Order: sequence, then C-alpha cells, then structure tokens
Amino acid sequence: MKKSIAFLLALILCLGTMVGCASKPEGGASSDGEPVTITIWHDGDEAIMQTIADQVNAQLAEDNITVAFEKKTGMPDQLKLYGNDPANGPDMYFYAHDVLGTFAAMDILAPLSDVIDESVLADALPMTLTAGQLDGTQYLLPVYFETLVFIYNKDLWKGDIPGTTEELYDYMVANTDTDAGTYAVVNQHTNAYNVSPFINGFGGYVLNEKGEAGLNDPKTIEAVTYNQKFGALQADGDYNTVTTLFNEGKAAAIIGGPWLTSGIEDAGINYGIVSLSDIKLPNGNGMAPYSGIQGAGVLKIALAEKKDAVAKVLTAMASPEVGIDLAHKSGCAPANSKSYEDEQVASNPMIAAIQKTASTAQPMPNIPEMNAMWSPAESLLTAVNKNGADVATAAAEAQAAAEQAIADMH
Amino acid sequence: MTHMTSKRVRNGAKLTVLNLTFILLCLVTLVPILYALSVSLSGQGAALSGSLSFLPKNPTLGNYRAILVEKPFLLWLKNSLILSLGTIVVSMLCAVPAAYAASRWRFAGRRGMLHVLLVLNAFPQILSLFALFRVLKTMGMLNSHGGLMMIYAGSMCVFAIWNMKGYFDTIPIEIEEASKIDGAGDFQMIVRIVLPLAKPAIIVTCVMVLITVWNEYLFANTFLLNSQSYSLAGGLYQLQSNNYSRSWPLFTAASILASIPLLLIFFRIQKYMVSGLTAGGVKG
Amino acid sequence: MKRKMRTKPWLYCLPALLLIIIVIVCPIFYTGYISLTDMSMYHWTDYKVIGFSNYVRALFKFDSGFLSALLTTLVWTALNMVIQIVVGFFIALGLNTPGLKLKRLYKTLLIVPWAVPAYISILLWRVGMFNTEFGVLNKILTLLGTSKVDFLAGNVIAFCSCMVLNLWMALPFMISTIDGALQSIDRSFYESATLDGAGFWVKLKYVTIPHIRPIIAPAAVMTTFITFKQFDIIYLLTQQRGYMTGATLNTVITYAHQNAFVSNNYGLSSAVSMLLFVIIIFFSILTNRSLREE
Repeated sequence: MKKSIAFLLALILCLGTMVGCASKPEGGASSDGEPVTITIWHDGDEAIMQTIADQVNAQLAEDNITVAFEKKTGMPDQLKLYGNDPANGPDMYFYAHDVLGTFAAMDILAPLSDVIDESVLADALPMTLTAGQLDGTQYLLPVYFETLVFIYNKDLWKGDIPGTTEELYDYMVANTDTDAGTYAVVNQHTNAYNVSPFINGFGGYVLNEKGEAGLNDPKTIEAVTYNQKFGALQADGDYNTVTTLFNEGKAAAIIGGPWLTSGIEDAGINYGIVSLSDIKLPNGNGMAPYSGIQGAGVLKIALAEKKDAVAKVLTAMASPEVGIDLAHKSGCAPANSKSYEDEQVASNPMIAAIQKTASTAQPMPNIPEMNAMWSPAESLLTAVNKNGADVATAAAEAQAAAEQAIADMH
Repeated sequence: MTHMTSKRVRNGAKLTVLNLTFILLCLVTLVPILYALSVSLSGQGAALSGSLSFLPKNPTLGNYRAILVEKPFLLWLKNSLILSLGTIVVSMLCAVPAAYAASRWRFAGRRGMLHVLLVLNAFPQILSLFALFRVLKTMGMLNSHGGLMMIYAGSMCVFAIWNMKGYFDTIPIEIEEASKIDGAGDFQMIVRIVLPLAKPAIIVTCVMVLITVWNEYLFANTFLLNSQSYSLAGGLYQLQSNNYSRSWPLFTAASILASIPLLLIFFRIQKYMVSGLTAGGVKG
Repeated sequence: MKRKMRTKPWLYCLPALLLIIIVIVCPIFYTGYISLTDMSMYHWTDYKVIGFSNYVRALFKFDSGFLSALLTTLVWTALNMVIQIVVGFFIALGLNTPGLKLKRLYKTLLIVPWAVPAYISILLWRVGMFNTEFGVLNKILTLLGTSKVDFLAGNVIAFCSCMVLNLWMALPFMISTIDGALQSIDRSFYESATLDGAGFWVKLKYVTIPHIRPIIAPAAVMTTFITFKQFDIIYLLTQQRGYMTGATLNTVITYAHQNAFVSNNYGLSSAVSMLLFVIIIFFSILTNRSLREE
C-alpha cells in the first residue's frame, strides 16, 4: 500500500512539473511601461554577451526593457527550428554574418529598415554594414568585427616577427621540435577559416559572389599546396590542441583572434600582436584572412508585439558606448566608428592589429551557399595536411562534394 | 596429502595470476577516469600539460567548488532527476501492462506486434529529430520536461516491454491462478503478486531507462530552451561546447560529479542486475 | 469469455502502443510525408507535395561511397559484437572462478565506465587519450622513446580507436549480462561433468556455452542494434566540424548525415532517411532470425 502511495505521489509530481514547465514566462507587450524582455540567442563568448547586455540594459532601464542573452549550442541549427515559432523562438539573435543567407532564404528575418531608422546605422564602418546586407537589404546590425591576427609570446619569440611567410617558415623549421612538443607557430591548419589568410592572399576563393565553389581553382590549389609545409609543423591543428599549446608556453605564436585573449591572459602569457597584413606571401600580397562581423538580427516573429522594444534595443546596441565597453573588456574591434574616439580603444594593440588586417581581409561570404562550403573545404585541408593526399586530386573531390551540396540545396 | 597440497598450490598460483590479470584490467579500464580525476583536481593553468603523472602538482578542489557554486549544476541535477523519475514512471506504466499481456495471453497479432516493435526500434532516432520537433510543436510540448519524458519513455518502451515480458515468462502461472481463486482482480493480482516477483527485472529496466535519460544530450539540447530547465547532460554539453580548453578542468570535474549518482545506483542494485537483465532470456 | 480475450490484451497494450505511435511511428510517417515535398530553406513554410522526385535524387546518394559505408558498418558491427561477447565472456568467466575473493571489487571497478555519460566519455578519450600532444597514449609512447602517433588520422587506425572506445563503453553491460548468466547455471552440471572427467575446455563447450547462449541472446541483439546505429563515437571522434581528424571513415548513418543533412533540403534528406530505414529493416529482419521467439 505504501508503495502505491509513493507511486502516486511520484506521478503527481511529474504531472506537476510537466504543467509547470510548459508555461513559459513571457514579457508581455507594452507601451505603458510594462516590463518587456527581449530574448537574444547566441553561441558565443558569455563574457562578451554580458558586456553588451549590461550596457544595453543600463541604457534602457527607464524604458523598462531588458535583454536576456541565451546561449544555444549550434545556434544556427536551433534557429532553423525555432525561427518562426512565436511561442518558443527568440526575438533576436547574435551571430557572425556568414549565416545570414540561410536565415534570409528561410524568410525568418526582418529587414532592419522595418524596425529602425537608417540614421541609427550612420556611424557604422561601411565594411561592417555591407557584410550584413543581402541584395542591398540590411539584415544585420553590426556590433563588432574580428579577423585573425598573429599572436606571439614575447618571452619565447626570438628576434623580430618576420615580414614574409618564407622567413616565418624558416623560423618555424629552426624552432619546432614536434617530438618534444614545442612549436614555433601553431594554427588550425585544417579549418578553412584559419587557412583563409593563404587562400585569399593567393587570390583563390572558397566561394565567390555568384555562389560557385572555388576549391579546385588553380589559385586555391596553389595556396593549399603552399600552406601544406606550414601545417606539417603546427601539431594536429585541433582548436583545443593549438590554444592549449600556446597558453602553456609550448608554442611561441598562434594565428588566432580576439576570442583567445581572455584565455591567454588567464594563463599569464606576456603576448604581443601583429597584423597578418604585415606578413607578406611570396606573391607580395599581405596575408588576407576572412573578417567576421558579429551583430544582431531581428526575427520577424518579434515584430508583432515587441517592435518598439526591439527598435530601442537595436539603437542601444548601435551606440558607441557598447563598442567602447566591448573594446575595453574583451578587445573586440567596435563596428561603430565613433567608438574609436575613445583613447583606450584607439590604442588597444589587438584592435589596432584587427583594424590594420581589415585592409587586406575579405568579409566571409554571407550567401546561403556558404553554409554548405565549410565541410568540403575542411575535408580538403584535412586530406592534404593530415593524410598527405595529392592536392589536385583532393581538391577535385572536395569541389565535386561542394557542388553536389550546393545543388542539393534547391 | 601431497596431492592435495600440490593441487592447492596450483590453485593458489592460478588465483594469483587471475588476480594480477584483473588488477591490470581494472587499471587499464580506469585510466581515462583517473585522468579526468587528475585534471579535475588541478588548477586552471596546468590542465593538460605535464608529464605522464596522474598526481596533479597543486591539487585543489576549486573546480568542484566552482561547478557546485558558480554553475547551475545542482539545478541541472534536479532537472535530470525529475526527467529520469518522470520517464521511468511513464515508461513503466505503459510497458508493464503490455509486457504482462504479451507474456500471459496468446492473442491474435501478438507475435506480429512484438516483431514490429523490434523493427521500429531499429529506426535511428537521430534521423527523426526534425519530425519529433514537429510532433512536439503540434502537441504544444516544446520547451517542457513533459515533452522530453514522452520522447524518452517512447524510445525506451520497446526495450522495457521485451525485457520484462521475458522475465514474466519465467514466473509460473500457477502462482497467479492461486490468487485468482482468492477472488483478486487482474489489476490487484499484477500489483500484489507479479510485480513483487518481477522486482529484479523491473529494477533493472528502470535503471536502463535512467541511464538513457541521464546520458541523452541531443534531444535535451534541442527541445529545452532555457538554461533553467536543462538536464545535466544537456547543460554539460553547453558548458564544454565553446572554448572548452579554458574550462577543461571544470568540465572534467562536472563529468565526475555527473557520473557519481549512477555509480551509487549501480552499487545498490548489483544483486538485482544479475537476474533482472538475464533471467528474461531463459525462454529466449 | 473468448470475445473478452480478444480485446483485453490489446487494452493492456494500448498505453504502450499509443506512446510508441506518437514517439516512433508518427515521426517516421511525417518524415515519409516530408520526403514527398520540396521543403528546403527556400520553401520553408510554403512547401508543396512534388511526388517521388526526391527519391530519384536520393538514390544517387546510395553510390559507391554509401556501399563502402555499408561495408564499414557491417564490419564495425560484427567485429564489435564478436570482441564484446568473447572478451566479456572470458572476463565474466574469470570473475566467477571459485576462490576469487575480490570479485565484487573487480566487477565494480570494471563497470565504472558505464556510469560516465556517453559523449563525456567520447570527449575524454578524444582529448585525454588520443590527442597527439596531451593524450595519455602518446605520453606513454614518448616515454617508450617512439615517435607520436595520430590515433584518429588514418582510416584503419581511426577505426581501431573508435572500436577501443566503443568496447570501453559497451563492455560493462556485456560483463554484467554474462556474469548474471553464468551465475544462473546450476553448479551440479559442472560437478557431474567433472566426475565424467571433463576438462576446462570441454566443460566450457558442453555446459557453459549452451547454457548461457539463450540467456544472453536478447541483450546481444539489443546491443547489435545499438552498435549498428552508433553515430556519436565516429562523428564526435573524427568528423565534427572544426575537428575533422583526417579519417574518412563513415557508417551508413554518418554518411547520410554528411551527404544529405548539410544542405538544409529537408525533402531530400527525408527521402534518404526513408531509404535508409528500409535498408535497416532489411538487416534487422536478418538479425531477428537469431532471436526466435518460442
């Protein structure tokens, strides 16, 4: 008897939680000062999102609007499911600009012009604005941008940072001992984003504006072939491996971005930063990484009830103060040109290096086809750098896979 | 006498070899776990480095404290417990009557049903993620523990039916007939006679359900939308997925903490494990 | 009475069947429906039924790459099952040796991996064991004076690494099952066999194995399905985006995932899923023959 009572209690408990969890607290619509919560999904660094949230919330305290950043692993995939679900989906999202095309094709994004006046974007750097456009329509409000830079350990690096990749390679040969586990320069050499400084610098491309894959473009092949000898001296190229090697003083330099700095500072490394544009490839061009513009997009489903609140959040996010805070706390390069009037921002070495790199960098393609490109490009690089495959053969295979994936989209 | 001694010596030698083998085997099995333990006890900086030593240089419990205090670990633990308990209740309420019927009565379509269930069980659920999303959306059960419980219970139901049906087969029907003469109804009889007799199978089935719920992260991550409602596995997945080199010691500490509840349960139910999982198979 | 017996059993099965219909059957039918439409990111909400053309396209996915993935899956399943059962059997046999005082301790330690959530195990192995710089295995190799090995780079070595991990994760269940089966054998069988002068191997062949075979069959069949469907190990260990290791190892499921799911064309990927389901049904019917009921 006792047991069946326990059973019954457990059942009631469960039913209770089902009901309890099904109802979702929701910040209701408001024009009369009722509190509104704008939910923003992201898949980035929580400290950066916190900085944005603090600044925006402070600015909007009087309007009774709060933003709540919610971290979703694999955010783009989640947004495909929930992007048109008013009951469960977010109001906005915060992500790099390269996924824009997919969301726009799915017709879940609202053009910014539906929500805010053009003047809000007046101070944004032109490069960050164009990256957030598709067919002339602005979908993404740029907040900060990033490129790969060359980060080195001042206590380990001997002499000056070379001005050419050939000198860099010579330095790597002289100062790498793979068996002892000490490296000169490490890079995620199997990741297309991290090899883009070579590919773009050689004039090759992963994907062009017409949506065509360029993995077996002669220039791309040349770049991948050239990168091969660097890859051989850069450990296994796994994100986890290379960052840990650098943070533990086992690698003297790493090709990475501002997202690494908090880890590097926690590890107590005395580091310096050099722009990749300052390191020239054999053809005389500076290395030309992809640039990524991080910013906020608005979901259509949010407009029905929260349009005014969303507009206020966007306006606050576009303010120079958000950029200044991000620059101070996380070394992010603000998208707002006014942020650079702050002295500390202008003198931040990471931001200076990113700004300089932006002169040679290319924004990542943001058309939907890009979504299908990362995987074949990575297959090509792994085949070449890890299994010693013939570059031309591997490139032809990867190109075929990429073309198939693009064809499958329709 | 000498014969006996030599036999004893030989037996002793055999046991020594066996003991050594098992000690070695246990060590090999535990290497990854000892590794995780060692990383979880080390400070933030020295996480992955060092020589092959399982003793961290400056052992600290800081990572465990951080997990328990700074991260919503206890909240996730509570969610996992709720999910597990709910799933167990739902799946047992559904599976026990079905298993009983399949074991006791020969009805038309019985064999067919059992086989169809087994085939359905072969469909990889990872392929139906999107479809399950639509099912939950239609039922308004997204972002609720109830929806997840239903999915988990449904996916474990086939196993539960098969496992318990097998065990019920081994319980002599005469026992039930005796109680029927006493005037007990079907329901009473199942609760009073069959369930207590089938205790090992029921406990083991519950534990298998528990393990599944405890481990599952894909559905938990897709169908739960705010960090307040995450399960342990889902929450830990979020914790490690981004920049985890920085939180690797935290992650290992969390992994160990997440495994302890299951280990404790294993210790408690070892004696049932022997019969519950296997007696079911006697009749094949 | 007879009429009652026709409906009553189904009444008992109703809750379970309802649950299974919602959670397993509905998604399969829904996938079948989507496979007949042009749902993709361009027709996200305005999709329409277009007939069987997705299946025509999906058939091209079942090319030589798929065949080799199918072969890999079969070899993967067979090898894992054989090793699991043989190794699990001998470990359980060892545990049941009379006079082994520490049996409970050994058994407890051996089943510890079971308690670790699956993807945590996978991550733990990827970074803690197999990594070229920090992995325990490579640290041991360095100590022995040999050069480092990338355990996940080549197909063969990655296959073996995945298998070792799968065994680590799956053996505890097998050991528990077989240990239980062994304990259910009446000691008198062995005593009479010993009196007949049977040695270790003879007893194994004529008493132990015939006795435990039917007992472990259901567990073995369940495990076979799980091994066949295994996705996490190979995917997370070798081909997660951003962490590809160089192995081009594919099982049917990772192959379908790689070739049909990256393009966000839900009509096409649903057609691939349905065809894959047919193939899996075919193999599960083959396997079911070994699980004769009654």
